[in-house]
Amino acid sequence: MEALFYNADDGYLEGIVRGYRSSILTNSAYINLTQCETLEDVKLQLSASDYGPILQNEPHMSTSMLSQKCTDKMVQEFEYIRAHAVAPLQQFLDYMTYAYMIDNVILLITGTLHERDTRELLDRCHPLGVFDSMPALCVATNVAELYNSVLVETPLAPYFKDCLSAEDLDEMNIEIIRNTLYKAYLEDFFSFSQTFGGPTAEIMAELLQFEADRRSLNITINSFGTELTKDDRAKLFPHIGRLYPEGNLKLAKADDVDQVKATCDVFLEYRQFFDSMSGATKTLEDRFFEYEVHLNKKSFQQQFHYAIFYSFLKLKEQEIRNIVWISECISQGQKERINNYIPIF
Amino acid sequence: MAAIGDEDSITGLLLAGIGHIDSHQRKNFLVVDAKTPLSTVEEAFQGFTKRKDIAIILINQHIAEEIRPLIEEHDQAFPTILEIPSKDHPYDPEKDSVLKRVRRLFGE
Amino acid sequence: MSGANNRLAVFPTRMTLSVMKQKLKGAQTGHSLLKRKSEALTKRFRDIVKKIDDAKRLMGKVMQVASFSLAEVTYITGDIGYQVQESVKNAQFRVRAKQENVSGVMLPVFESYQEGANANELTGLGRGGQQVQKCKDTYIKAVETLVELASLQTAFVILDEVIKLTNRRVNAIEHIIIPRYENTITHIISELDEQDREEFFRLKKVQGKKKQAAARDTLEREARQAEEAAQRSAGSGDAALTGKGSGHSADASGHSVAASGHSADASGHSVAGSDHTATASLSEPGDLLGGDDEDVIF
Repeated sequence: MEALFYNADDGYLEGIVRGYRSSILTNSAYINLTQCETLEDVKLQLSASDYGPILQNEPHMSTSMLSQKCTDKMVQEFEYIRAHAVAPLQQFLDYMTYAYMIDNVILLITGTLHERDTRELLDRCHPLGVFDSMPALCVATNVAELYNSVLVETPLAPYFKDCLSAEDLDEMNIEIIRNTLYKAYLEDFFSFSQTFGGPTAEIMAELLQFEADRRSLNITINSFGTELTKDDRAKLFPHIGRLYPEGNLKLAKADDVDQVKATCDVFLEYRQFFDSMSGATKTLEDRFFEYEVHLNKKSFQQQFHYAIFYSFLKLKEQEIRNIVWISECISQGQKERINNYIPIF
Repeated sequence: MAAIGDEDSITGLLLAGIGHIDSHQRKNFLVVDAKTPLSTVEEAFQGFTKRKDIAIILINQHIAEEIRPLIEEHDQAFPTILEIPSKDHPYDPEKDSVLKRVRRLFGE
Repeated sequence: MSGANNRLAVFPTRMTLSVMKQKLKGAQTGHSLLKRKSEALTKRFRDIVKKIDDAKRLMGKVMQVASFSLAEVTYITGDIGYQVQESVKNAQFRVRAKQENVSGVMLPVFESYQEGANANELTGLGRGGQQVQKCKDTYIKAVETLVELASLQTAFVILDEVIKLTNRRVNAIEHIIIPRYENTITHIISELDEQDREEFFRLKKVQGKKKQAAARDTLEREARQAEEAAQRSAGSGDAALTGKGSGHSADASGHSVAASGHSADASGHSVAGSDHTATASLSEPGDLLGGDDEDVIF
């Protein structure tokens, strides 16, 4: 049924995204990039791609500038799609930006806690996570004020309301707040994407479940040897992943990487992350990224669904990371690790 | 220890745990980017040299280049000024104040 | 005190001479000690310079690795710079200075130590935490290298200073102090010799005068005796004989005094000398008793 009316509303945008997708750098382009000696060479290589025009007028190349420009480009594409989107897709795209909003809000909270000039913070916010009332956050001078008058106005308000109080903001570690919010966000996004049904629900479920599991695994591994208690750790696990509930329970009790590995052994897809972990040059994070790219690529195989927008953004992000990584390797003369990027197509 | 540098260098050094904010809200590090005026750098540098609780000042070499006269002027043993390379500016031993002195001493 | 002739304004006496000799010896010992110190320091200095050179190069590499690990973090976690900056509270990585003694020069040695909680423990909890910790470790290592380098550099600056100072002292002793003492000593010796000769001459003169007087006396006496004998021979001689005997013995004792004075020249002189120093030391500041006066005293 959905496919019948899909093209009327979103067909144009899907076409656009598929067009953007074909501009994503191919493996051979990456190989060319890794052969570069200087950042100028990188610029030359990129000039043939979609990034050509934005880099053309830059006299001095630096990796931070490169990542800045590429992000701008991505944001620009995304904004174009969002501007043309209609009702359900519009909301879907908004949901996608909430992840960046969480980061921005956390940034602002950190700044406020340290009585910093919040205006300079705005420059540092991720452009995708900008929302209208954000400048208003700068007005708040203390955390309670921030919470009461401003945060409830943002789209993130429900997440804040459900899991945090004003006192928590003051006392809790900022990272725990971030992860609590993120957990709430993932769960909300998941239930939202399920309302669509059909391929959108199907593909988004897979993507978000992986995202949730990845977070659970990461939190578990990263909290070894820190002050984070096991109870607190369990609270940060999203409740939507494939690991939930029994895997999460095991993770909550895990004390070392081996136990995490044992937990994941049940899942075929996740088992490979921990295979031959030692000795390999690829880290766990690299494997996660690889799998994420794999999943996102898969979503382009189907038509008439919204997950393609989500996948596009994620792939684009990965591409920027790749470019920045390669140029970082080049500018710092660390060529031996240059092939750690994750090819997309 | 104190540090003056670009954002990446400072982030790294802070990760190592050298950052400190004392009871007067004074920081022992300064992030310098393209927009930071030279006077701020100079002020911070002079402030660090006068502080009693700082034994080592780390400064990015390309920033040191900009306030070179100030660094040459500083001839006390305490605090020690150390020029460190930054991400975008690889280390150039030719420009280092101390190495210059070494060279001069040995007449190279 | 000018040019090569420079010497101390002292009174040329034997006492001063021995004092000067002692001082010269002291200066020479000091000179050799300082020289040795300077050599030891220079050796150390060269070591340090070499180490600095190496360390600086090493630092370049270490810092590169460190900033690369930060790039890794950025790759996975995104920009954490601001977050890290904001979570700064208390320095976890601190340094303290220790003293190391190198030939009497106190060189500070920085020692790093960890203290307090890890402020960035939870950074990247959701993503890239391992990389953050790895990066942190890399940077801690890098900073340790930097601290080491810093102590080397401080040592370099201080040693440079001390070596300059020591060399200045060595040179001063070698080229100013020692020649000055030597000049003073030669001066004193020559003055003393002069005095000796004068004294000897004076005594000779005195002896000569005495001899003349004695000769005159003898002549007179002989003349008188001859006269008396002539008279005796003319009158009775008993009373005259006793008178003549007593006169003779007095004469002999007078002679012996003169002789002893002469033979005990050296001892007499030394007594006079000590006498002289006493006056000299008394009057030294004013130095009123110049070369001319001595002659008057003796």
